Amino acid sequence: MSAAMNPPHNAPTAIAAAERALVLSSLEGDQLVEAKKSPVPRRQLKGVELLVLWSLRLYLLFMMAVVLYQVRSGTR
Amino acid sequence: MTADAPAPKVRTEPASPVGEAQAPVVITHEDVDRAHDRARVQGARSRRGAFSRIRLLWLLLGPGILVMLGENDGPSMLSYAATGAKFGIGFFLPFIVLTFAMAVVVQEMTVRLGAATHRGHAELIFERFGPFWGWFSMIDLGIGNFLTLVTEFIAIRAGLGFFGVPSGVAVLGALLLLYSALLTHRYWTWERITLAIAAFNLIFVPVALLAHPDWHAIARALGTWTPLPGGLTKDTVLILLADIGATVTPWMLFFQQSATVDKGLTTRDIRFGRLDTLLGATLATVAALAVVAAAAPLFTHHMSAENFEAAQFAQALQPIVGHIGASLFALGMVEAGLVACVTISTSSAYAFGEVAGSPHSLNLRMWEGKAFYSVLFLCAALAAGIVMIPTLPLVYVVLLVNVIAVLAMPPALVFLYLLVNDRELMGPLVSPGWANLLATLVVLLLTGAGILFGVSVIAPSVFAALGGK
Repeated sequence: MSAAMNPPHNAPTAIAAAERALVLSSLEGDQLVEAKKSPVPRRQLKGVELLVLWSLRLYLLFMMAVVLYQVRSGTR
Repeated sequence: MTADAPAPKVRTEPASPVGEAQAPVVITHEDVDRAHDRARVQGARSRRGAFSRIRLLWLLLGPGILVMLGENDGPSMLSYAATGAKFGIGFFLPFIVLTFAMAVVVQEMTVRLGAATHRGHAELIFERFGPFWGWFSMIDLGIGNFLTLVTEFIAIRAGLGFFGVPSGVAVLGALLLLYSALLTHRYWTWERITLAIAAFNLIFVPVALLAHPDWHAIARALGTWTPLPGGLTKDTVLILLADIGATVTPWMLFFQQSATVDKGLTTRDIRFGRLDTLLGATLATVAALAVVAAAAPLFTHHMSAENFEAAQFAQALQPIVGHIGASLFALGMVEAGLVACVTISTSSAYAFGEVAGSPHSLNLRMWEGKAFYSVLFLCAALAAGIVMIPTLPLVYVVLLVNVIAVLAMPPALVFLYLLVNDRELMGPLVSPGWANLLATLVVLLLTGAGILFGVSVIAPSVFAALGGK
């Protein structure tokens, strides 16, 4: 890319016409940086999913305590 | 499931292809750089013949190989060396193959998710399930990544220590190499440089050959999953967990999906993404088995490898593999640490950018991606600094890293499972039943391994009742 192609981020006017055409022909619409700014719609987690996620969260917390116990007993 | 089928778009803007958009399309330099890479892919795809297919594969491979060889990092190689030294050629050889098969199942889902949504893993968790669950994932990732980065610098320091390089010089040199790879400001160049370094992961193969492995024992072990010297003990469980943590970890999910997006892969490239992942897993398995085979003579000669760091393994192997073999082993440790430093710090920076909503791409110039590069630099620099603290119990940090990775993996996998089965996001690319079954088995296996580890710490006498020592 030429030195002229060094404007700030998201400056559409500084992109040469040829580069612009290349982007339009090579990328899918939702691959553009601008398109990714729109958030993905939120989805509510269901009962079973929440149960699994909370169970694994508690499992992780408990196991981390086990790891710390092992490290503590190992360093003594 | 068809790899070429487009995924439905749940986003509101822009719903139409770029060329058909009504409003003026905002195009950034990041888009232009990615478009150059995609144009080469389209050019190769439009031509027929074997050469064009090979060129297409060359253009599309990268994230899968990087993630798999990146995971063959310092602590992983130390785990494999400890496995060979403690248990020789036996049960753990096919077990390591199994762990890489699990990694392929899991990582393939990230390729599909990235290609279908063009969004990173952290971004999807935050936006789809909300910040409450998003922050849990980020905390798991942040702690795991940081501890792992520390161990990478331990491996680099220890590997270069074998050649008499002072710790400070080793750590500073690694940091400079990491930073210089980013100065290109191009994903493609960064990826090729990192791939070139990662190829040296196979340096462990000649070391294994120099150790003159017993090929019959290797074939027997792979076919029968035996022997397992000592049976199921506390030590066996620790090595078991360390070897799993050496292959499947949360940062791999975040890295490969973000790299797939940054590279610009689309649903048409999923087949090549799978091939890339499979190729990476094959190379990584070969390197991992080579480390076990190289260290196995220590088991045969009844040499204790307790609390060995990389340099001590190389020194212990020197009488068996000679100075060249030992030097290659130490260099391999340096390479393993270096590549993982690059990939893990990049994974942290991607995740931060995705969550903070700031630009996050290796195609960004420094001034465009200040936050992205700052996180990347700071993570690496802080980890490097910690390694230089002389009184820190580094052996425990190494132990912790793989164990924490295994423990944090099931929650991370459940989010991946939910996302890859989200029909609104994935459309016809949702996981088929067999893939869901395999993913469920992986979650159960990892959770079971974690519980086994808990039992081994809290009630080790249980193993004696089961026939172990």
